[in-house]
Amino acid sequence: MLVAQPASAIPPFARQTGLACEACHTLPPELTPFGRRFKLSGYTLTTRPPLVNDIDDHKKNTLWLTDLPGIAVLAQLNYSHYNRAPPDTGQPYPAHAQSDTYQFPDQFSLAYAGAVSDKVGAWMQLTYNGQAGSVGIDNIDIRYSDHTADNKWLWGITANNYLTFQDVWNGIGSYTIPNFNTVSLATGGVAGASTTGPILNALGPGVVAGIGAYVFYNDSLYFELSAYHSAVAGGNSPVVDSVSLAANGGALDRFAPYARIAYEYDWGYNSAEVGASGLYANWIPSASYISAQQQLAANAANAAATAPGGNGITYTPAQTFNPGAINRYTDLSVDWQYQYNGQHNIFGLLGHVTHERQQNSDQLVAATFTGASSPIYSNPTDTLTQFLITGEYFRNRHYGGLVSFTRTTGRSDPLANGGNGSPANQYETFELDYVPWLNFRLILQYDVYQVVANNQSPFNLSNSQFPNSPGFTNIKAGNNNTWVLGLWMDY
Amino acid sequence: MDGLLMNKLTKPSILAAAIALACTVGTARPADISLPPDPSVLQGQELVSYACSKCHGVSGNGISISPIFPILAGQQSIYLEEQLKLLRQRYRSDPHARAFMWGISRALTDEQIQSVATYFSSLPPVTGRPSNNPALVAKGKEIYENGVPEPRKVIKCIECHGETSEGTNTVPRLAGQHPGYVALQLHYYRSKLRVNKLMNRNVQNITDDEIAAVTEYISTLTPTPSP
Repeated sequence: MLVAQPASAIPPFARQTGLACEACHTLPPELTPFGRRFKLSGYTLTTRPPLVNDIDDHKKNTLWLTDLPGIAVLAQLNYSHYNRAPPDTGQPYPAHAQSDTYQFPDQFSLAYAGAVSDKVGAWMQLTYNGQAGSVGIDNIDIRYSDHTADNKWLWGITANNYLTFQDVWNGIGSYTIPNFNTVSLATGGVAGASTTGPILNALGPGVVAGIGAYVFYNDSLYFELSAYHSAVAGGNSPVVDSVSLAANGGALDRFAPYARIAYEYDWGYNSAEVGASGLYANWIPSASYISAQQQLAANAANAAATAPGGNGITYTPAQTFNPGAINRYTDLSVDWQYQYNGQHNIFGLLGHVTHERQQNSDQLVAATFTGASSPIYSNPTDTLTQFLITGEYFRNRHYGGLVSFTRTTGRSDPLANGGNGSPANQYETFELDYVPWLNFRLILQYDVYQVVANNQSPFNLSNSQFPNSPGFTNIKAGNNNTWVLGLWMDY
Repeated sequence: MDGLLMNKLTKPSILAAAIALACTVGTARPADISLPPDPSVLQGQELVSYACSKCHGVSGNGISISPIFPILAGQQSIYLEEQLKLLRQRYRSDPHARAFMWGISRALTDEQIQSVATYFSSLPPVTGRPSNNPALVAKGKEIYENGVPEPRKVIKCIECHGETSEGTNTVPRLAGQHPGYVALQLHYYRSKLRVNKLMNRNVQNITDDEIAAVTEYISTLTPTPSP
């Protein structure tokens, strides 16, 4: 599945509040303590008088419209240069592989962002995704929020379509720093490599939607409970079939509960957070399914064509294999963020550890396989542990950069991951940023790989899969190293 | 259709729209048309809770955590009123004034400004914080009380800000203020990013070391109650 990277700062918020980007962001998308409160307050703070206002008989506000809606245009471009051209995968005819790609745009979005009423606000984004080549619904977050008069208790409800998009810290989830990254933590980008990651990072727009309730006490203790359900783009049927599963690599079965707790302590120019989260998800993976009806038809066809054309396979009732094979994921995470937001200097140190336990459906595991095609997991239970740490520094919000290290390890599963079965990956991101204007950012990034899981890199696949590149035997992870020149802007 | 529309427009919505329009051109609203969710009619503590508290002390106590934002608890009411008006008319134009307060103050009425200033000035001021650098404090005390002699000539702060820096009228209370905030303002005054003819002249020759010393000293002061 392809998860778009969330857009960063949103000028409509600045227009609505009258505050410059630096009120809410160190550098977008990383939030300051003020920015966190603004988001948790449902994006409702406004200093703009209404153009249209209506009230009911009890003087209760029933409509509140400003002169202009909070519309934003966001664009992200990138030019990526790989360490070497990937092997020719043209089948059956040869293709021509180049060592670079130009995403123009990588993403182009239109968004509404801002207050809808005094207690409701929204972020609704429509994005053209350069890799998908199509326009689709991107991140949506609609919030209701209220607080006590003394601001000790703040609470809210969020309806969103991207697990972790609602979060306000940046050590984990959709706004993890580094954010301008061609390598999504969930799956691949345009770079040569893609990387395995926990399902926590993969439940995004077009795949799921959820609703959650949260409370923030004394600007320090945050607690949230959410539940996500599959919400496949392009269909409204409760029936999950092979086609819809194939579209997103799978779907959630029923609701996936998610809990989040975090504690923030601010002093002077400093803000520190430590948090934990847990997700339990029943996931129906995409696989070659055959229903009982298809089985009967196939058996009849096979019986009718005993010799030529018959495949000789006769399915037994035990091999009936409906969509409904369910893998059970449990993701437990710890995250942290330290931020120094001074008059001239900004430091950050943030990251997370996520441990995932994936209990595979008996129907899909080799030893207990009952399906029609072939098993897709070697182990009844797989595990994955992802560790990410990022250090960053910026001067006067103009110059800066970051270094980030990501390492994923897990139980070897040859059927799921190919080759030696290891899901492991390890890479660093080095980034230099030049921000001449706060809504215009130039990015030079170098991603360096030490380990890439076997089936995640074109360079790691076996030679036989590249009939047009017979000499292609070099499977070094470093082949995936990528230079990225990026531009991010919004207005 | 027209009748229905006109009927609706003659009801409170047209009144509210007219008031909203009036507000955008800076006219104060009648006090009896108070719609609580409307920030343009909030007063005093409500307004502080709605907007100011997000940076200047979340519980409304006027004590900011980050030194980017000044502590306002116990600040001189007249000073606050004057500054809010200067910010609203965009006369005060240092970087943080532009980034934060130009927008926040843009739709405030004179009444609101007065009520916010009164609210913050009524809060108990902070007490001075102990310093772990007595030498720096001593140097700061010397500058605060005696200034810097010719030829650089920095006027002594005590002359206007008072013995314990409690301030008066348009002269701000600095006692217990974040040293980082006061230091930044002194830099702004010295470079004329923040314009105040008196302060621009007074600190035009002050050095970075002297700013560090005097702001450290100010942060240790506990002011006497306002006269």
